[in-house]
Amino acid sequence: MALGTVTRRLGNKLLPALSPSPRLLHSHATSFGFKQVNEEEKARMVGDVFTSVASSYDLMNDLMSAGLHRLWKDRLVSKLNPFPGMKHLDVAGGTGDVAFRILENIHKVKLRGLRGAFQDTLEAETQIYVCDINPKMLNVGKQRASEKGFGEDGSLVWVEGNAESLSFQNDSMDGYTIAFGIRNVTHIEKVLSEAHRVLKPGGRFLCLELSHVGIPIFKDLYDYYSFSVIPYMGELVAGDRQSYQYLVESIRRFPSQEKFASMIADAGFQKVEYENLVGGVVAIHSGLKI
Amino acid sequence: MYRTAAKRLLCGARYYYNGNVGLRFRPPQIFIPSSRFSTSETQPLPIPHATDRTIPVVVTTETENPNSSDSSASSSPSSSSTADDATKPRAKYEDQHTRVLQASLSYVLKLGWTEAALVAGARDVGLSPSIVGSFPRKEAALVEYFMDGCLQRLADKIDSDESLQNLTPSDCISKLIRFRLEMQAPYISTWPQALSIQAQPVNVPTSFKQRAVLVDEIWHAAGDNASDIDWYAKRTILGGIYSTTEIYMLTDTSPDFRDTWAFLDARVKDAFDLKKTIQEAQYLAEAVSTGLGNSFQGFVGKVFQR
Repeated sequence: MALGTVTRRLGNKLLPALSPSPRLLHSHATSFGFKQVNEEEKARMVGDVFTSVASSYDLMNDLMSAGLHRLWKDRLVSKLNPFPGMKHLDVAGGTGDVAFRILENIHKVKLRGLRGAFQDTLEAETQIYVCDINPKMLNVGKQRASEKGFGEDGSLVWVEGNAESLSFQNDSMDGYTIAFGIRNVTHIEKVLSEAHRVLKPGGRFLCLELSHVGIPIFKDLYDYYSFSVIPYMGELVAGDRQSYQYLVESIRRFPSQEKFASMIADAGFQKVEYENLVGGVVAIHSGLKI
Repeated sequence: MYRTAAKRLLCGARYYYNGNVGLRFRPPQIFIPSSRFSTSETQPLPIPHATDRTIPVVVTTETENPNSSDSSASSSPSSSSTADDATKPRAKYEDQHTRVLQASLSYVLKLGWTEAALVAGARDVGLSPSIVGSFPRKEAALVEYFMDGCLQRLADKIDSDESLQNLTPSDCISKLIRFRLEMQAPYISTWPQALSIQAQPVNVPTSFKQRAVLVDEIWHAAGDNASDIDWYAKRTILGGIYSTTEIYMLTDTSPDFRDTWAFLDARVKDAFDLKKTIQEAQYLAEAVSTGLGNSFQGFVGKVFQR
């Protein structure tokens, strides 16, 4: 009973499709979970992971995190501070969770009567680009957008693309978010420099990612939950143990909060900060382009 | 006249050996001879202990950077940390923050002390309005930036204005408070909103600190560098004068706030007269305690002598 209560508070999140983290900076070998494979295979294998989980993605997210992932995304969007007329890019946001929250937040801003400041920008249309490398995830997002009533909005633009080589112009985005996606890319540095390139001066980078727990006893419970409960849950609900095994392994391969923050700073961002949620299960990193 | 003073000194010396009573009145004794012969109304006097105990205020002279990188409160359990940046790049984003805040001030009359003003300011300096999201407390940062700017201008005036040294402390204080409040005159129509922002719980520590530094600056300019027991009382009283005058100013419709300055002068005069009242109360207390230590006829004799 006590263990059940504790594990319910532990959070995990599944991720959109992108390649796994690099083990060596300039090596052509890279990691898929705990396994070593070459780069071309990694991209394909990660693609397979998300192709197979796309349909049950949201259900598994709710189960693994006991619904906490919704709060984490709410927190991410509140830190972003969206405004009407913004041009925003959500990378690895295939099912649209973050993009929908941003749109809802912008609608609230309009209703709050800040019309005075945004009078001249109401003509400028809000554009939220959702970029994902996996087309099946994008299809799930489009379908959910229609169900939520965002389909006719015109603000949501669905783009299939690679986070390491974005198809957007320099200095064109007010905000850049990547939620549960940067862990799967082959080269984190490339993603960060691309984010810096597409952002306008004053634009902000925010990254929500599963991270490392530092609290001793909590860490043991978290490890047990990660390696014993989640793969079993994946097999039971989604019929896919391998994908969720990859999920928990890739979390451990990701850089620590401090190291990732220094990587963001190395990419050129300033005022780099991070905030741990649930003791470090999830971390929100933010940076400012000047 | 001198004989009376000598008697008081002897009485003080006697009570010095009488434990509590001596401790209670020893501080007043030190000032009585000089205040007796001084015509200045501004002679500093110690406040009775009973009064001291009601002012347990701890004031520091630090000024917090309005661009503080503290994180906002989170609904989930959280801890925050700032990655180490090189000094030079950090200064760069702080410069941009300052530019945005400065540009936002020109929109305050139109849009108020709001995120909307910050967004308009960010556009003016050519930055994305997203930068507003990186201000920890947004509109509070704007108010604090304005307050810090006013404090800086006040300090510059104190350094550059030679005539302040020739003024009496009460005139000096009145002049400086007036100078400081005149800086708020352009924003008087939106200042109630700024006060309400400063009164929010999350902003109280910073706004309190800013006012404490302001009060300390004014007292130093008036020549008070003491750190004795009435340090807290002086600053509390002056802080009260400043705050009440500020609030009075919000509804003052007289030309050039003439009524506000009259109000201010009267309050400062009252404050300095208060010391006189305390002084007289001490004389009375001393007389009573003297009487208790003597026979009834001795007490009557002293009364008749006066």
